[in-house]
Amino acid sequence: MGFFKRKHEPKKVPEGRVEGFYKVTGSGKYAAEYKLENVCYAVLVGSTIAAGEIVDINTDNAKDIEGVLDVLTHRNRPQIPAFADEAKAKRAGFSLPVLHTNKIFFRGQPVALVIAETLEDANYAASLVTVSYKTDQAKVDFDKEHATVPIAATGKERGSMDAWSNAPHIREQAYTIRNQVHNPMEMHATIAVWDGDKKLKLYDKNQGVNNVQQTISRLFDIPPANIEVFSEYVGGGFGSGLKVWSNVPLAIMAAKQVNRPVKLMLTRPQMFTLVGYRPQSWQNVRIGADANGKFLGILHQAKHGTSVFDNYGEGITRISRLVYNFGNLKTESATVPLNLGAPTWMRGPGDCTGAFALESAIDELSYDIKKDPLQLRLDNLAVINDPDTGKPWSTNFLNECMTKGAEMINWKSRNPLPAQTKEGEWMIGYGVANGMWFAGRSKASASIIMQKDGSITVQTAMTDIGTGTGTGMQNIAHLELGISHDKIRIKLGNSNLPAAPSQGGSTGLSTISGAVAAVCDALKMKLAGYASLQDAIYKDAKPESIVLSDSGIAYQQAGNHLISFDKIFSKENLQTIEVEASSGPGEERQKYAFCSGASHFCKVRVHTKTGKVKIDRHVCVVDAGYVVNKLAAANQVSGAAVGGIGMTLSEEQVVDSTHGCFIGGDLAGYHFAVNADAPIIEVDFINKIDPNINPSGAKGVGEVGIIGAAAAIANAIFHATGKRLRDLPITPDKVLLAKS
Amino acid sequence: MRPFTLQKPTTIGQAVSGKKESAQFLAGGTNLLDLMKKHISQPDRLLDINSVLSEKIESTAGGIRIGANVRNSAAAANELILSKFPLVSHAILKGASPQIRNMASMAGNLLQRTRCPYFYDTSLPCNKRKAGSGCGALKGETRMAAIVGHNPQCVAVHPSDLCIALSALDARVIINGKDNKETSIPFKDFHKLPGTNPEKDNNLPANAIITAIEIPSNPFNKNCSYLKLRDRESYAFALVSVAAALQLNGNRIVEARLASGGVAHKPWRWYEAEKFLKGKTADLSNFKQAAEIIARETHPLNGNEFKVPMLKGAIEVALQNCLTA
Repeated sequence: MGFFKRKHEPKKVPEGRVEGFYKVTGSGKYAAEYKLENVCYAVLVGSTIAAGEIVDINTDNAKDIEGVLDVLTHRNRPQIPAFADEAKAKRAGFSLPVLHTNKIFFRGQPVALVIAETLEDANYAASLVTVSYKTDQAKVDFDKEHATVPIAATGKERGSMDAWSNAPHIREQAYTIRNQVHNPMEMHATIAVWDGDKKLKLYDKNQGVNNVQQTISRLFDIPPANIEVFSEYVGGGFGSGLKVWSNVPLAIMAAKQVNRPVKLMLTRPQMFTLVGYRPQSWQNVRIGADANGKFLGILHQAKHGTSVFDNYGEGITRISRLVYNFGNLKTESATVPLNLGAPTWMRGPGDCTGAFALESAIDELSYDIKKDPLQLRLDNLAVINDPDTGKPWSTNFLNECMTKGAEMINWKSRNPLPAQTKEGEWMIGYGVANGMWFAGRSKASASIIMQKDGSITVQTAMTDIGTGTGTGMQNIAHLELGISHDKIRIKLGNSNLPAAPSQGGSTGLSTISGAVAAVCDALKMKLAGYASLQDAIYKDAKPESIVLSDSGIAYQQAGNHLISFDKIFSKENLQTIEVEASSGPGEERQKYAFCSGASHFCKVRVHTKTGKVKIDRHVCVVDAGYVVNKLAAANQVSGAAVGGIGMTLSEEQVVDSTHGCFIGGDLAGYHFAVNADAPIIEVDFINKIDPNINPSGAKGVGEVGIIGAAAAIANAIFHATGKRLRDLPITPDKVLLAKS
Repeated sequence: MRPFTLQKPTTIGQAVSGKKESAQFLAGGTNLLDLMKKHISQPDRLLDINSVLSEKIESTAGGIRIGANVRNSAAAANELILSKFPLVSHAILKGASPQIRNMASMAGNLLQRTRCPYFYDTSLPCNKRKAGSGCGALKGETRMAAIVGHNPQCVAVHPSDLCIALSALDARVIINGKDNKETSIPFKDFHKLPGTNPEKDNNLPANAIITAIEIPSNPFNKNCSYLKLRDRESYAFALVSVAAALQLNGNRIVEARLASGGVAHKPWRWYEAEKFLKGKTADLSNFKQAAEIIARETHPLNGNEFKVPMLKGAIEVALQNCLTA
């Protein structure tokens, strides 16, 4: 094991992922892996009822265990200032008053926290805490509860519903999806370290250090500048790290109580109840078309679960407003409060749920009309203007995605009729569906530190949750500056670095690419300033006419005469050169609408006797502007598509309404897709630059790989079997029992 | 987990005499350690029997003897097993993950506890975990529960794949008891139905230790198959599984073996269907009739009725696969 104890540094920055070396050798630290002197361990105890009140908690047996330092409950925990009044708590954006109430909102809610010298002591003592409750009737059955919740308009209605009530073709169907959980490989964890009363260090697993900093600042009434958050390596997120969950304030309270650093890592079962999930949903879609298949109108209604203490809205119907031209459109939605943990954004939130219904309904309509589902979509795509705002799309090549994908999977070879193609006892089918995601961008900052040898470190507070953001930043810096890859290091995930928003919603690279481009320009200008002290012509230099190399700076107007970094550093007696710059969206957002798009094509085989579904091929063609790093981008899309396969065929966090809880809390029983469930995902890109979105012309790809995947698979199952499955996941029993 | 002491007996005799109520044997630990971490199993002492038990696979006069401590992956790759008892290898390879199979012992595989989610959640009722607390699954989630041999006390199923093959092949479980004498239990009698004491999974006497598994020579190495239907293609427990084996004389079935996992509290043999197939032609029509006979034996619970048509399909496919194996 000596290997893991040694400190490893690569001789040069290796090719591929910038973080790869550090992750593979274990020298890159995930939140729970930081070694801090005098650290102790906390284990949380969850409620065993779903609704009611704590009547009594007995912590005596737990406290008797050797090594136990303290047990926190709502009776003895240090006060979190924001929980003193509800308005403050609301402003803090943290809705669960953890250990500040005797009320129980869901099963698994933290009711006690055991702090001990070792994890083993804490874990054992936690099993000895006993709680008595007054139990209330819990609401956990979404199917039962949603019927009682009224639905309301969401977004502006277009045209009227009457205008197409006599359309030649109308399809109306309901679609449902069960709860799904994120469960990234790295469990949520926090190490909290107080320095006096007003300074705090947090080693935390999340998708945005500044978000943690801000939230904790509001909760504990400490200036953000006094809170340092480190999340240098993040082992996956899928959205679960976009919120601050109870583990963070719990660790901070515990560290305060025992006046020592405290580490709190959720257990895998706790990951199923405490850090969000994609909520169960019901959708109804009515869609109409004329005799030629021109879409006339759509009604898209959606309801999904939320928690009783924190209202979360998915935006499920948004997708119907974006992809196709519907002259008449109405979208309605509602959330259904339940006694379950709080749901949250999970990869492709809202749209991935909405696309399952929309793209299934379109598919059903195509068979009604007897029109190729590919052509039906192509004929109705809105690739010129965003139908919702009327603004022109900056770029939208979804039609090219469809055409390219169709070629890749050889769509035209498919029998247009369903349930016709057999190989032994297997039925073969093809399906298609589209996905779209608004291409967002926020403001971010980045800095560069240059050393005498011309090597640079590009840094920002943004995290890289495994998406390849750091690698993308390295590529952009290389293209902007001309400095070779192996002289560009990347530092991320530290709140002391220049501010950046959370990495989520496929905005990470789009956001940070602007800041990297800006800081590269700033470096060029700073170097030109120094160079001008030696050659006055540099005074007029503009970033675009300056070229850096591994050895120095050159300027076209100076005949590309090179001034070495060495000369600049020694002449000015510099140790380092440091620059910082910010960049964010501007007026282009007024002029254009922005989107990433994807077309999914799927070939499945379905066993007639066992209901088993096997995905033979899955093609995903993505339009996301310029592709900064094809390997990393394809990796994102491929992972999302595999997530889509799990969502479609096997993922379900089961709710037991008798006992008021999620059932099962391990990865053996929760069936995310494994390699054996997925073929090699065939990914391709249109790779045409979006000239308006940001300096790199690149748009995010994290979400579109899953949005539409489910419908493509379900549509392929229909084409194979003639069975229309409208309830995810499509497990073998549903396939077997469905009627064609 | 609850603190415990670890002891390392060096002989089978020491292991057996050390096995008191509050002690448990530790071999691969792939199930036990999980159960301890979740406070489901809380032994005072662990007896590490890794240096006590055989890791040998030997040919014997009557068949094969597989040492208790042979790792699952070693058994699956063993030449003797692959040539004479391939069904065993097929079944092992459908279970768990390579990492778990590398650790898990053969005897431990027999003793693994159910994967019923109610058993694993200490805050929910489960008669198997805590006698008298009730059966959470009965009125709850029954997707993974039994369709035969269950009672209101317990609807959990036995989780092993290996055991389904061993059951079909009439293996014997070799044990050393209190007196440290070797005896054996026929496989069909090793695991038990829930009865009134579902907390007990099997009939292994309290102080006894499994030392080996023996499989008698059989003619089923040519035409056998193991089919496992589950919610994903790997690392998932069976919704239903079928171990099928045929002894053929031309097109005629001399002898048939059929056993299933995911359906009962123990590996379940379909004796009626086996009897039906004996002497019949090996064709789809007879396989369908065998599947019908099996379906008639089942009593699905509210919510897992799907297992019956799925099982019928699985029986047909597994029998067909015997012909192409």
